[in-house]
Amino acid sequence: MSDTSPAKTQETTSSAENAVELIDVTKRFGAFVANEAVNLRVKRGEIHAIIGENGAGKTTLMNILFGLLQPDEGRIVLNGKETVVTDPATAIDAGLGMVHQHFKLVPSLSVADNVFLGMEIRRNGLIDHAAQVEKTRELSERFGLKVEPQERVSLLSVGIEQRIEILKVLARGARTIILDEPTAVLTPQESRELFQTLRGFVADGMTVIFISHHLEEVMEVSDTVTVLRHGKHVATRPTAELSKDDLVRMMVGRDVSFDRRQRTKTSREVVLDVNNLWARDERRLPALRDASFTVRAGEIVGIAGVAGNGQTELAEVLAGLRPASHGSAMLKGRDLTALTPAAIRQAGLAHVPGDRMVRGVDGSASISSNLLMGRQFKAPWSRNGVLDWKGVAKQAVEMIKRFDIRARGPEDTVKRLSGGNIQKVVLAREFTNDADFLLIDQPTRGVDIGAQESIHDEIMRQRAAGRAVLVISVQLDELLTLADRILVMFNGRIMGEVEGDSADSERIGMMMAGLNANSAASEVAA
Amino acid sequence: MSDRLRAFYGQIIALAIALALGALIIVLIDESPINVFMTLVRGAFGDQSKIAGTLLQTTPILICGIAACIGLRGGMFNVGIEGQLFLGGFAAAWVGFALPLPAGLHVVVGMVAAVLAGAAWVAIPAYFRARYNTNEVVSTILSNYVAVLLTSYFTIFLFKRPGGWSETPPILPTAYLPELFSFSRLNWGLVIGLALALFVAWFFRQTAKGYSISMVGSAPKFAEYGGIDVKRQGFLVLLASGAVGGLAGGVETLGVHHRFMEGFAPGFGFDGLIAALLANGSPIVTIFTALFFGALRNGSLLLETDTSASREIITVIQALIILSVSAQVLMKRRGDSTAGERRWKF
Repeated sequence: MSDTSPAKTQETTSSAENAVELIDVTKRFGAFVANEAVNLRVKRGEIHAIIGENGAGKTTLMNILFGLLQPDEGRIVLNGKETVVTDPATAIDAGLGMVHQHFKLVPSLSVADNVFLGMEIRRNGLIDHAAQVEKTRELSERFGLKVEPQERVSLLSVGIEQRIEILKVLARGARTIILDEPTAVLTPQESRELFQTLRGFVADGMTVIFISHHLEEVMEVSDTVTVLRHGKHVATRPTAELSKDDLVRMMVGRDVSFDRRQRTKTSREVVLDVNNLWARDERRLPALRDASFTVRAGEIVGIAGVAGNGQTELAEVLAGLRPASHGSAMLKGRDLTALTPAAIRQAGLAHVPGDRMVRGVDGSASISSNLLMGRQFKAPWSRNGVLDWKGVAKQAVEMIKRFDIRARGPEDTVKRLSGGNIQKVVLAREFTNDADFLLIDQPTRGVDIGAQESIHDEIMRQRAAGRAVLVISVQLDELLTLADRILVMFNGRIMGEVEGDSADSERIGMMMAGLNANSAASEVAA
Repeated sequence: MSDRLRAFYGQIIALAIALALGALIIVLIDESPINVFMTLVRGAFGDQSKIAGTLLQTTPILICGIAACIGLRGGMFNVGIEGQLFLGGFAAAWVGFALPLPAGLHVVVGMVAAVLAGAAWVAIPAYFRARYNTNEVVSTILSNYVAVLLTSYFTIFLFKRPGGWSETPPILPTAYLPELFSFSRLNWGLVIGLALALFVAWFFRQTAKGYSISMVGSAPKFAEYGGIDVKRQGFLVLLASGAVGGLAGGVETLGVHHRFMEGFAPGFGFDGLIAALLANGSPIVTIFTALFFGALRNGSLLLETDTSASREIITVIQALIILSVSAQVLMKRRGDSTAGERRWKF
């Protein structure tokens, strides 16, 4: 294949202007091929986005580039020089830097100490804190990443933590920066600031590799896009030549619609009525403050907000997993705050939890076993306390078919499935309970685009069946697609409400950042 | 399925490493490991009475192992089985010598007393675990010392048999657990242990209650979310585990010693715990791991006479098994947690 590839012949002429070249890289895990003869060429001074569904091989490819994995076949050329990247240290020496999705900061240390962690500036064998603070300030000013070097990391927001991660990489002399899903934890405004920083980098002659499945962002910030699908390289094109629909088609291999779902307006009885609800977090601080809202039958209410603004606590209180400190939540006339999780389920709750692997499933158990949870004492699942595993397996086979769960069978271990299929296991269990109220926290987190669409279809079907649905999501697009009304949470409070049909993401973004609805509206006007 | 298989291989490898290290130590004391291991096998399975002796040693380890399995499956680490065994043993003995009852009924009442004593003894740590979330590992370990010394006190100061030994009066023959063969003290305790292992395995696999408890053990947050009262289940699991631990003591006093002796059952509770860990909490597999430890114990008697190695070498080998099994368990946990981290996409 490499003999016929036109890129191969270009290699000698183009490699000098390429910061990173991966040539015919193949990586197998047993029988599974994670990357198959993938070619990636990133020009110096560009923002290069890599997109693809989960499991498309993005992360594997970046781990190979950064020396965390060794390719089975293929070559790596860095700045025109063929390099065998045996470990991250080699990659760092070659001027690469990686900002991981999960921040690896020490909360109890200062910003400067974190930036120089593992490469401390020493004087007489002791850490020279003053020099570290000075250097951190220099870096911060030079690259426009505002931080206060002496502040403790535990006091800082996620957006600032990300800046520190980027500073860490810069302090190690990186000229090519890889960012893995950098905007997943940011508000739209914080994302915009990040993009400005990234443009500053390329203006400075640096190179940025940007992994995302957030297509708008890719369109907005990148110069070039590489699309991977099922471990294979689909295309590398200048972003300007592409539309969002083109990207989706290349990623998924078919057309997928994420337009707002069509719906008929209904106005039916109130199923959930939340009044002045308060709750505390693990540190005993108020995390949910004075929430009041209703959800009607046949209606989808969305809760928007940056992660960590009280949505988790709200969901847990409604499911009986966290005590409310004040207020009530009436589900068809019964106050959930006084009931146990089992009684709440009895009263008509189905719950898709946000923390899927911890709350939603037992990963080490089979699909059958996971589908059984909550109904193990009910016929036909069990009789006189003895389980009918054959019957359970039969039901499981039906649910696997109906919810299109890709698995070998009902005995398949859940943790072997992909994120999307695990989520479908949870949905299959919860949506077949005939509950009047569905509480869905992060319906499609970590789920790839094809599966997202089918999960959205299923939620719309539940709406049509007259269920009251509360969808909590940090992905605003998702709520814009699904919700009849959107409530925005910030710092434990509901900042305002917008109608789904007339929602604009700018105004919601303002509220997510803590500006109230009126001032947000006026700022947009100005 | 392949997960279970991998866990199985892990245990086998842990066992092999322990035995290899044991062999190394035997070489260091100038003995032939082959000679020692062959002597062990002969001592454990050499003839009819040796096999019966091995099974006699296996019985309390098996029952304690099942007690540990119940805890492990429900997510509770009951390290107090030794203490529950002591109290159960004493309670059964007391019924045996102080409470004359008709034959048949006497054994049953003695066994029930053992079960209740074991459950009552673990109820204290279990209560604190459920109410205040105190770590049951620490509180059950500590309760062992209290139990051993408390039964010593009962034996020496309250119920001592006249004469030199620190033991209670012998139990009445009506309270004897019947023996299986004429040539050995091997008794119905083994049958009770085997039946219990089968029942517990069935309970966890086939009943709704057993399913709920397993879920509390393997995924407590998931179980809570699914409407299971996690604290209550944890309390009941510890109680059941302690009850079976007490039963092991009853089997020993009513079946083997026919009295309660101070320090009568050194380490059966701990051996049972290790047997259960080695079996990954499966009662059926525990039958075989308990047999392994029973064979080690019984085989070691012959070591003293037939080789230059001390029988303490068995203690060394057991300690090595504990180390390698717990290292393997820890490695598995670490592997699991990083797998979870990698899976998560926020």
